[in-house]
Amino acid sequence: MKFVMDYIRKEEWSPYVAGILLGIVGVLAVLLSNSLLGASGAFESIAGMIGKAVAPQAFDNMYFNFIMPPGITWGVILLVGAFFGGTVGALSSGTFKWRLVSDDQWKKVFGPETWKRWVLAFLGAIVLEYGAGIAGGCTSGLAISGGMLLAPAAYLFMAGMFASGITTALIVYRKGY
Amino acid sequence: MANYLIAGVLGVFFGFSLNKAGLTKYHKIVGVFRFTDLAVLKFMLTALVVSMIGLYGLRSLGLIVFPSVPSTYIVGNIIGGLIFGIGMALTGY
Repeated sequence: MKFVMDYIRKEEWSPYVAGILLGIVGVLAVLLSNSLLGASGAFESIAGMIGKAVAPQAFDNMYFNFIMPPGITWGVILLVGAFFGGTVGALSSGTFKWRLVSDDQWKKVFGPETWKRWVLAFLGAIVLEYGAGIAGGCTSGLAISGGMLLAPAAYLFMAGMFASGITTALIVYRKGY
Repeated sequence: MANYLIAGVLGVFFGFSLNKAGLTKYHKIVGVFRFTDLAVLKFMLTALVVSMIGLYGLRSLGLIVFPSVPSTYIVGNIIGGLIFGIGMALTGY
């Protein structure tokens, strides 16, 4: 039992162990509420909800009426839970701390300014969410949740994601690749 | 209501597993695109294999019906993936 507790407290698990946990969560999501895990869809539901309240005309379209219904959906609650799950994870290993979303490796490439990280993260996240919107999901919602149902879409998405991800990393890390 | 409770609890484990796999860190996400740290790939594919076995097993036992499978539209999936990858490599999320 002590071994198990010690392992839970470790900052970084073997990705295989963490993967097994996520796999079980994925199965339980289907078994218990016939839903698929996902993250990007929740942001669209929230965006749709805000949009419908602020500018109902602009948001009265196919996408927000049928494809991504706005409101507090199952996925939104899941995302709130994931936020607390991540916090619990960091607390359990004692690595929880408030920080300005920076990273040593990022600083080496882009420089020490934190605001740059924020601007790039904001712009990059728009690109990311836009891509997820076109493809029909993100890494969790399409690649993992679709992949486990053997949906061809998931594997096409993964091929695209790695092709452009590797290319982008090549450009960003020109010398140090 | 019960459904929301399930979502919340599963969400906690979802976030917990992501945190423990290190996927909340920039250098982990970018590492997979630089081939310096393949944790993201190991994590994703392990989750895939486990849930595939679980889901197809439960379905053949007649215990579950698959939810609507994400739709395949080849060009959209690939282009979406290409755009997504740029964002992912830039932000590290």
